[in-house]
Amino acid sequence: MNYKLTIGWLYPELMNIYGDRGNATALTKRCQWRGIETEMVMLDLGFFEEDLKKCDILLMGGAQDKQQEAVSKDLFKKSKILQSMIKENIPGLYICGAYQFLGNYYKEANGNIIKGLGIFDLYTENPGENAKRLIGNAVFENKNFGRLFGFENHGGRTYLGKNIRPFGEVVRGFGNNGVDSTEGATYNNSFGTYLHGPILPKNPLFADYLISMALEVKYKTKITLEKLDDELEQKARLAIAKRLSVRI
Amino acid sequence: MGHGSTWPGHIALKLNPNFVNDVLKQSKTKIILVTGTNGKTTTAKLLQTILEENNQKVFLNASGANLLNGIASSIILKSALTGKLYFNYAIFEVDENTLPQIIEKLEPDFIIALNLFRDQLDRYGEINTVAKKWKDAYRNLNKTEFILNADDPQIAYLGDGLDLKTHYFGLNDHKFEYKIQQHAADSILCPKCGIKLTYDAFYFSHLGKWKCENCQLKRPNPDLESFQYYPLLGTYAIYDTLAAVLTTQILGLNNEQIEKALKTFKPAFGRQEITEINGKKTQLFLSKNPTSFNESLRTINANKTRNLLLVLDDRIPDGTDVSWIWDIDFETLINKNTKLYLAGDRVYDLALRLKYASVNFSKENVFENLEKAIRSGLDKTNNSDIFYILPTYSAMLETRKILTGKKIL
Repeated sequence: MNYKLTIGWLYPELMNIYGDRGNATALTKRCQWRGIETEMVMLDLGFFEEDLKKCDILLMGGAQDKQQEAVSKDLFKKSKILQSMIKENIPGLYICGAYQFLGNYYKEANGNIIKGLGIFDLYTENPGENAKRLIGNAVFENKNFGRLFGFENHGGRTYLGKNIRPFGEVVRGFGNNGVDSTEGATYNNSFGTYLHGPILPKNPLFADYLISMALEVKYKTKITLEKLDDELEQKARLAIAKRLSVRI
Repeated sequence: MGHGSTWPGHIALKLNPNFVNDVLKQSKTKIILVTGTNGKTTTAKLLQTILEENNQKVFLNASGANLLNGIASSIILKSALTGKLYFNYAIFEVDENTLPQIIEKLEPDFIIALNLFRDQLDRYGEINTVAKKWKDAYRNLNKTEFILNADDPQIAYLGDGLDLKTHYFGLNDHKFEYKIQQHAADSILCPKCGIKLTYDAFYFSHLGKWKCENCQLKRPNPDLESFQYYPLLGTYAIYDTLAAVLTTQILGLNNEQIEKALKTFKPAFGRQEITEINGKKTQLFLSKNPTSFNESLRTINANKTRNLLLVLDDRIPDGTDVSWIWDIDFETLINKNTKLYLAGDRVYDLALRLKYASVNFSKENVFENLEKAIRSGLDKTNNSDIFYILPTYSAMLETRKILTGKKIL
């Protein structure tokens, strides 16, 4: 059977600050190398709802404040569709600003509250300019994908509510807030995380999980993906693992 | 950082916080600050060359010693016992992030602002924040003249509503135009109203002929759009040249004087610098962020590159976050016939990036050891060819040490 996946990239023009394009590239290439056809849909400001609905997998990255404001206005108009897609198990990866945005709210340093989409039960607080940004190489552990390697850089501290699970446990770095050892959040097949790097090329198990889940949801059958040669991926993981004195 | 010699400045500033300003004022030295993400060192060197060739005494702060301490120390080392400086001009390179602190302490005669690109987000923060801090800091200035890049919306906007003299440089040449935006563009929203900008043409990244359909903010008309002679390759270096030429025109030099001086120009170290080793040529193109990497690749592509070494480090001066390599347009900018060599602290991240760009390279050419990579590339380079090397900042220093230390046999 010939499989095909439609990858929806939310706001590639504005939400792409930390090499997020690499995640889109990783999904595309890892599909193509297995003969799975892909189509990339760029969902920029003012995109049509129909284009979002036809996506089998979603990606959204982080941005600078100004960009985030513009995106927020646009995405609120379409949040119902996004919410129902997430409920229907459409896999998605939401990084940094996008991750915060899926939560209930973001509290600025001056106390001002910016409403989130309320899809993930979590909130984020910015502790102000005197608190340090959480920056550096980071590793966290998830029981299905093992250790995930990347880089984090965020001022906001995120706290999870009762109705959501963390994506993983911090091994090195800060994670959601630098205090409770949780990193990211996951709900159905959607994942929010502070890890960029970008995350998917260097964490192929996780990338493949998103692909296989997207196929299973779309074709309603159990999928086992063909193995790929991940030697370089392993070497890149090993190099940073050595530096941080952790195993891969 | 860098220079161990900043302690005299540290002490002088402790004794008199206005030390730098006082000495420079007393000496009637004109102060020129050069800032921006890319091109500071080259622009400062261009200015120095033009002025010195025209019999002016120029004082340039050494690279690395970018902070006020460094400037103060340089002044102490260069001044006479009377505390007077016998220089006509002082040129200071200032990091985009430290500019506001510097101009709090010292009012320059000129500020040259080149561009703002994403660079080391782990250290400098996001570019909108940087631009806003600049704009706030300018409120305290009384006499400074601005030399601004009209083609960079964030930079041009610095001149908007500014009650000081502003001059603009920009490009106006079809030869350099792209109709489609390159990926690593940062500033596509209007700096004034936040609506998406429209472009008639792009020169590189987000630099081009821009306007805002919403609030009518638009690219100012440049005072200088071209020059008769460019000493360096590449669109980005042309901007640096235009900035230096416009500044020296304002200082009263004519085009003949400027051109004659530019013909003696030698690149700053690591910036298109050529080194010869046993009859073989290497050329270094410092490539420290997506934009400068793209522009370096574009520049060398014009020269049928056969052997190319890319070196990625992740030390503090390089930025510890290497995710920016995914914003480089390797997919379109690596020539099929170019043989690639890879090295650096994060060589496997680089290799992974190229794998996902479907760029061919051989596994044997992925080196954990930089010296081996250089030797291997040089071996394959003919005497009539150039072995091109694109390193990040630390990697450039290390490469240069290997090349000039003639450790290579």
